[in-house]
Amino acid sequence: MGDGKSDVLQGTLDLMVLKTLESMGPLHGYGIARRIEQVSDDTLNLNQGTIYPALLRLQQRGWITTEWGTSENNRRAKYYSLSRLGKKQIEKETESWERTAATMARFLATPR
Amino acid sequence: MDWLRIWWSRCVAFLGPKKLDEELDEELLEHIDLATDENLRRGMSPQDAQRAALLKFGGVAQIKERYRLQRGLPLLDEVVQDIRFAWRQIRHAPGFAIVAILTLALGIGANTAVFTLTHALLLSTLPVRDPGELVRLTIDLSGTQNNSHDAPLSLPMIESIQRQSRTMHDVFGWCVYDFPFRDGNVNGGIHGAILSGNAFEALGVRPAAGRLLTPADDQTGGGPDGLAAVISYRIWVSRYHSDASVVGREVIVTDHPATIVGVAPEGFEGVIAAEHPDIYLPLEFQGLLYGEPSKHTAERLWLDTFARLNPGVSRGQAAAEMNALFPKILDATLPAGMRHMPEVEKARLEVKRARTGWSKLRATYTQPLLLLQVMVGAVLLICCANLSGLFLARASARRREFAIRGALGAGRVRLMRQLFVECLMLALPGALLGVGLAWAAGPSILHMLGNVEAEQAISMQPNPTVLCVTVACAVFCAVLFGMAPAWTASHTSVEMALRSSNPRTSAGGAGLRNFFVPFQVALSLALVVVAALLGTTVTRLLMENSGYRTDNVVFALTDFLRVPQKGDTLVALYHRMAERLEERPGVEQASVSAISPFLGWRWSDEFVAADNSQHQAPVEAMENIITAHYFSALGISILTGRDLTNSDADRNSCIVSQAAARLYFPHTSALGKTLRSVVRRPGTGKPDAFHDYEIVGIARDTKYNSLRELPPPIVYLPLAAGENGQTNGGSNLFFVIHARSVAAANSAYLATLHEMAPSSPEIPPAVFSESLRDSVARERLLSILSGFFALLGLLLSGIGIYGLVAWNVTMRTTEIGVRMALGATRPKVFLLVMRQVAGLLAIGVLCGGVAALFAARSVRSFLFEVRPGNPWVFVLSALVLVLIGLLAATMPARRAVSIDPMRALRTE
Repeated sequence: MGDGKSDVLQGTLDLMVLKTLESMGPLHGYGIARRIEQVSDDTLNLNQGTIYPALLRLQQRGWITTEWGTSENNRRAKYYSLSRLGKKQIEKETESWERTAATMARFLATPR
Repeated sequence: MDWLRIWWSRCVAFLGPKKLDEELDEELLEHIDLATDENLRRGMSPQDAQRAALLKFGGVAQIKERYRLQRGLPLLDEVVQDIRFAWRQIRHAPGFAIVAILTLALGIGANTAVFTLTHALLLSTLPVRDPGELVRLTIDLSGTQNNSHDAPLSLPMIESIQRQSRTMHDVFGWCVYDFPFRDGNVNGGIHGAILSGNAFEALGVRPAAGRLLTPADDQTGGGPDGLAAVISYRIWVSRYHSDASVVGREVIVTDHPATIVGVAPEGFEGVIAAEHPDIYLPLEFQGLLYGEPSKHTAERLWLDTFARLNPGVSRGQAAAEMNALFPKILDATLPAGMRHMPEVEKARLEVKRARTGWSKLRATYTQPLLLLQVMVGAVLLICCANLSGLFLARASARRREFAIRGALGAGRVRLMRQLFVECLMLALPGALLGVGLAWAAGPSILHMLGNVEAEQAISMQPNPTVLCVTVACAVFCAVLFGMAPAWTASHTSVEMALRSSNPRTSAGGAGLRNFFVPFQVALSLALVVVAALLGTTVTRLLMENSGYRTDNVVFALTDFLRVPQKGDTLVALYHRMAERLEERPGVEQASVSAISPFLGWRWSDEFVAADNSQHQAPVEAMENIITAHYFSALGISILTGRDLTNSDADRNSCIVSQAAARLYFPHTSALGKTLRSVVRRPGTGKPDAFHDYEIVGIARDTKYNSLRELPPPIVYLPLAAGENGQTNGGSNLFFVIHARSVAAANSAYLATLHEMAPSSPEIPPAVFSESLRDSVARERLLSILSGFFALLGLLLSGIGIYGLVAWNVTMRTTEIGVRMALGATRPKVFLLVMRQVAGLLAIGVLCGGVAALFAARSVRSFLFEVRPGNPWVFVLSALVLVLIGLLAATMPARRAVSIDPMRALRTE
């Protein structure tokens, strides 16, 4: 990546969305996208639009729920919040992600 | 569980996509707005703010598309689209759709009809436990005759196989019967079967109510319930309204009280295909009806025998065991006189597969049905070629449409799938209509079998298997006739098709379409030749002189096993009845005969000229047992000598046919000579038994077993007392009655029967001319159906040729216009069009001729007095085909002639 940004790894976006909802409570799509960008300190090469298919995926699995609310500029907006199933999923995914990360770290730590 | 939830949400989304689309639009719009607002707050100009927001978002349209693909059921969505589109296409050209559906209905209907029959007769598996273990045991008597001849077994044989076999168990006998039946106010006949007590247990079927027969019911004097009877599910529903209290009910079967102990399961029709017993009785009933000995008579081969293979035993092993065992079984069961008859010496016991039960119709109809199956297959191919041609023509008319869709991003697969859906939408209604046609034609096809039982028993109702095959047929057709157009459509060059102003100038797939006409013509020619050969066969057979008088003659089979008269008095009863019949009004002559010609009865013995018996071996001849006036009743002239009389003086006289006279007395006149009937007993040490007869007359030759054969040598012996209180022709013989009319013969017979043998059941007499016609039922069925299929092939080929030429004329309108403008005359234009058709026809006829030659050779065994290579048949068939082809081409060719050059050029 020439500009120092990395692509979003397949499957990591889901966890990012879930984690965002866990820490921030109900959010609309734009809010989630912005939050992910802020947390990653703008190092991610994220097309904001791609979070919508991800949100649909999570919704279909029953990990998040939606309801209509009002946005900052007083318009109707769809708000996403974490479901009970989603909370469980975060635990599961976090654990597996940490394991992967630890494994990768060990590999990278081995001297050449 | 995850996938279930995902599918659920996808299905929900599939059903209401419109609202979801609006919501998504709203959500994305809001996203962009929020982003724009934030950018504005950061101090961007309004244009830059929105541009940056959109840039950051990525492609809105792509995201929406991805979202939709993930949300609903995209594949199903597309199929629904395809179906909608196909429906619009069909509505757009209803004429085309109707022609396609009707064509397919004919093709698929023919296939369904023939397959229904094939399935019912040959393929349907018995609804019993482990049907694969079932085998049928038959005695193969083909060693003595040219054509294969199977016989059933006797009860002592069954019992000794059951005792001795180590490869088979659950051996049981089965015999189909018609019984007089009374129950309350119902008084009529019932179709039934008597069977070994273990039959139901062996088959492993469960009763629908009550219980089934057990070995305990098959005891001398009856079982715990007296004479136990099981009724079919069919009459349980229709006659007893599925009332469970029918168990224990008393009914009268042939004057004997029987108790209904249970109901056979639904769909169970016994083990004989094309029979449908409504009542099942133990074998013991035979003993009740005709006396205990009749059940155990070893010479009476009357029981169709089935058994189960032991686990792990192959049919071959069972057959090997039976090979070794059978001679011993014969030694133990047959009386010495019969054991060493030549047929018996050569007889073998065969073990055959019985997964699908058995039917005597199979021997006759297996090959014809396979032939018909091939023929309807050819008809279906012609249908497909026809539709393929039509579709190709349409596909080239729609090139612009395909090109535009291709340009808009439809992939090849998508285009092909869309065409396939269109084909399927024509094929499935066609199949549905075809099933309807098959169902409607069913009864008349069954009637052609010339077998009343089969007509009643075989259901032409479409069943699941048949429907599956029909649907498979339809899909196969759709693939076949959709393939060529789909291929050309998917290879349409977008640029080329869009550039040409007139789609008519680019003829796609023309070469392919030119292939279909010769293909159709060739197949049709083969069909027509086969049909013509079979038609000739039937005509020749029906015109063949049988040697008998057939008009106003009936053969009435008696059932005299239970009349009190035995032996000599039984012979006297037959004599008296024949004389009494002749006294009745309207009756010309009446006589007695042991066999009825052409009904499949055959009786043969070995004879030798008595003077020459030292030097010559006995030779087999057909035989009949008769009384006086047999020859006059059947219009067979006695060439020299005299008829037999019923007096005792003729006890040792006989009459021989010309062929028999030539066979036994080649050099002298047979009249007055002595013919010796020989019962051989080789290997027993006993001398051969013989009986001498003086030849008192020589009768004109007649056929005996079938219309196909040459008149065989026949020896006619006088009726006399035989073994076991029967006559020398058995106890049940035929009365041959020649009267003024069939009705007169029938009523005379019934009156005489009631008067002189009141205890005997009535069997409706058979009309001789009908028996004769039914003896060629197989050929008749073949010729009528193949004729129909050939006609269908001709019709379809005609339509195909018409379609091709009409299309070509439309395509070449401009060219023809130019030619005419340049001075081509109308006849020249006409010839131009016809020349192309003639070329295609010629190729078709040539290929078809070769195909027909092979087809004709494969039906050789069905033919009679017409060679498979008969040039007349070939030439005439080809002529008919060419004529129809040219006729079909004339209409569009005349349109070509009437093209106005000016208008044709202006359209360019």
